[in-house]
Amino acid sequence: MILTGKHHIVGVCVRRFASKAATQHEAGGMDLWKKFSLFGAIPCVGILTFKTILDMKKHGHDERPPFVAYDHLRIRNKRFPWGDGRRSLFHNPHTNPLPDGYEA
Amino acid sequence: MMMKSDHSFHLVDLSPWPLTGATGAFILTTGIVKWFQEMNMNLFLFGMMIMALTCIQWWRDISREGTFQGLHTSIVAKGLRWGMILFITSEVLFFFSFFWAFFHSSLAPSMEIGLMWPPKGVLPFNPFQVPLLNTIILLGSGVTVTWAHHSIMENNFSQAFLGLLLTVTLGVYFTSLQALEYWEASFTISDSAYGSTFFMATGFHGIHVIIGTTFLTVCLSRHMKSHFSSNHHFGFEAAAWYWHFVDVVWLFLYMSIYWWGG
Repeated sequence: MILTGKHHIVGVCVRRFASKAATQHEAGGMDLWKKFSLFGAIPCVGILTFKTILDMKKHGHDERPPFVAYDHLRIRNKRFPWGDGRRSLFHNPHTNPLPDGYEA
Repeated sequence: MMMKSDHSFHLVDLSPWPLTGATGAFILTTGIVKWFQEMNMNLFLFGMMIMALTCIQWWRDISREGTFQGLHTSIVAKGLRWGMILFITSEVLFFFSFFWAFFHSSLAPSMEIGLMWPPKGVLPFNPFQVPLLNTIILLGSGVTVTWAHHSIMENNFSQAFLGLLLTVTLGVYFTSLQALEYWEASFTISDSAYGSTFFMATGFHGIHVIIGTTFLTVCLSRHMKSHFSSNHHFGFEAAAWYWHFVDVVWLFLYMSIYWWGG
């Protein structure tokens, strides 16, 4: 039943994938999101990074505002649980005054 | 350990991690009290170490049970999906409370802060500088994580790797920029309700970004070890859902606190 001699088996080279999903090229799939990522998202981040750096260079050296001892700012009802308790966690001596004025 | 069952559910082997987690959480919270009251951080640090070890080992065991022992049948995976959905929902409610606090203070500014928002003397961030860049970074990372997902589903190993790597990089970039903003800010947490609401809301958001980035980094390592198949990769999906949630919270933060409130 096998060796009838009628059938010529032509060897065809076919690229096979182990999983079904890879053979189907979905319209809304990997290629689309790759394009969105590499031609959309990453360039936008790059361009806006550049623009932000330029902006900061232009406005980065603005004067810090004069110190006014407002009651509602620099509240110290309880000490901070570190150091001498007078400075917040991300305290910047140049931009953050203490209750009685700028340190630097 | 490999006992056969006649059902497709997963009855977990006896594990010490729930107990170490509960004990660790108790030690951590008591440690915070000791830190604030007695200026001593030792119990807090000990609690953090126990929690970190618990998380690492518990989640490592879950990966082993799913990937290597095949115990994550489709119905088990459904349960994990519901679990993640419910957890993220609880996080939404958590952030809702900080937004409530923000709008409480900012919609009807009190006399003490000058009947204005931002309060008198507070210099807010320009929403169109670093905060806008941070918005584009997170939105872009949502695109790259989607690329990674489709690549996993279409069995493209290298593109999935690249998509995940880009996502993690963008996450780290966001965190670095936000840390820079925190350093440069002209106001601190002690500067009226503005400072409190700003740093509580953005601070907790930042912690969630770090958690999400860590989760994605673990997915990247697991992907490199070929843990994910094209039709079964729930750990990755959970990380991606969490990441989109973090992105959405940022969008609300940006629109209400940075833009409207600035």
